[in-house]
Amino acid sequence: MKRLPLAAGTALAAWTLAAPLFLERGTLNDVWNLAFAVILASAWNILGGFAGQVSLGYSAFLGIGAYTTVLLSLKGINPFWTLPLGAVLAALFSVVIGLPAFRLRGPYFTIATIGVGEAVRVVASSVSFTGGSSGLRMPAGAFDFTLNYEAMAALAIVTVGIAALVRKSAFGRALAAIKQDIDAAESLGVDSTRFKLGAHALSAALVALAGSLYAINFQYIAPGSVFDFRLSLAIVLAPIVGGVGTVAGPVLGAIVFSTLQIKLLSVPALRDSYLFIYGGLLILVMLYEPKGLVGLARRLVARARRTPAPPPEAARAA
Amino acid sequence: MPPEPLLSVRGLTKRFGGLTALDDVSFDVAPGEIYGVIGPNGAGKTTLFSCLVGALAPTAGEIHFQGRRIGGLANHAVVRRGLVRTHQIVRPFRDMTVDDNVSIGAHFGAGKRRGTDARRRTAEVLDRTGLSSRARDLAGTLPIGDLKRLEIARALAAEPACLCLDEVMGGLNPSEIVAAMSLVRSIRDAGVTVLMIEHHVHAVAGVTDRILVLNFGEKIAEGPPHDVLADPAVISAYIGDEEAAS
Repeated sequence: MKRLPLAAGTALAAWTLAAPLFLERGTLNDVWNLAFAVILASAWNILGGFAGQVSLGYSAFLGIGAYTTVLLSLKGINPFWTLPLGAVLAALFSVVIGLPAFRLRGPYFTIATIGVGEAVRVVASSVSFTGGSSGLRMPAGAFDFTLNYEAMAALAIVTVGIAALVRKSAFGRALAAIKQDIDAAESLGVDSTRFKLGAHALSAALVALAGSLYAINFQYIAPGSVFDFRLSLAIVLAPIVGGVGTVAGPVLGAIVFSTLQIKLLSVPALRDSYLFIYGGLLILVMLYEPKGLVGLARRLVARARRTPAPPPEAARAA
Repeated sequence: MPPEPLLSVRGLTKRFGGLTALDDVSFDVAPGEIYGVIGPNGAGKTTLFSCLVGALAPTAGEIHFQGRRIGGLANHAVVRRGLVRTHQIVRPFRDMTVDDNVSIGAHFGAGKRRGTDARRRTAEVLDRTGLSSRARDLAGTLPIGDLKRLEIARALAAEPACLCLDEVMGGLNPSEIVAAMSLVRSIRDAGVTVLMIEHHVHAVAGVTDRILVLNFGEKIAEGPPHDVLADPAVISAYIGDEEAAS
């Protein structure tokens, strides 16, 4: 039972990395989008799912990665070399906002992160070195989509791998303890602030890496694209629909979401309604399956196992 | 010469706005003692524990543990120095197994154990508290008696030099109380000093070496259980001031 997700994950990873060999550019672009969404969802889930700290400010980290890459590339540095710096800057920024924000709990923390995300967007639109609200263009040069695709795919695999390792580790158990009862965790010696900062920094760095690759791929960024609040919202919706706090959930949620988005955006009549459909999905999940698609799958598996046995009444009485 | 106290509290005061929950409380606990804290509802017993471990910041007063000042430290930092409390209303991590619950204490408590060492400590504590058979169950599925033991097990896994038990016998039946009393003695015999809040006066009298009595946040008596329980001030605090009642 435990080997099944591992085997499925390995197969999916291998297929994703090999995809440029047999997929045409358009479809490959869709898979690029899926990988991008998987990174955002899985990285967010480390703090939001494992530690239960729901942040709506993750576009800030995406934007930091993207802007670091574009600004340094304009100085003549190879875009791929800028990735680590973007990740470090995002991690540092996550600590700076985490120190005050983690003093708040539950919805108060979430509200604070909305403020941070918006503040970053406003600053990026108004200072001159970011190009203001009109944004920045990458320097002209050779661009290799397959290389970018492979980097994004590898990052998605690494991110999911890191999430799986964190979940199994003592660090992951401390995050779960913080999520379930932060005071009880503290009373057993868990330094909750340090662990929350650690989870925040780790996920911020991963999101920033994805942001850098995003900038390299689109060659153009603006506060309205990488610092968009709707992006922060979409980052949260995928793991919630997929199954918050699990490793597979955000992957599943991201795949469902991106596929939906790709399909919806290709139908002009539905182009503006995708957020409406996201909202509808979110309400359905909250009402009927708070553990998301993963919870639903587990329930179905459990039911399938019970069916060969005698009628449910007899099973319940036993 | 009395031995150097393990825990020394001086002038501890805690106010919540206009309410004084603890008023100038001082006492010492010697290593290896079982020290009871009793008092009517609202006397400030749980507030006292919260201040000792740093879950609440005292308004005034000094707390020394093993000769070092711990007043003002965060809860997790106090735990790492070996002063650990349990909660009166059990606070298990319900979506974790019993085993994982206990391992949190082993990993992040004063022992800071890792890997197999942490697993060994966890298994040992589960065995001592009689929870081994439920190790793989989700904590949320346990009955209250087991949850009370889990609360103790997690705290023990954190390897306290001094364990503060907040009403671990509340809600237990008489035979469970006897078992809990012998567990408390065995914890002390293993070298852990025990502070215990207890409502159950006979349980306290049966197991403690000394008792502190709080009433409206003030210390009204301290000493061996039988002397203290016979103290008129203590009796009136529990029964009321009407002399006609006697």
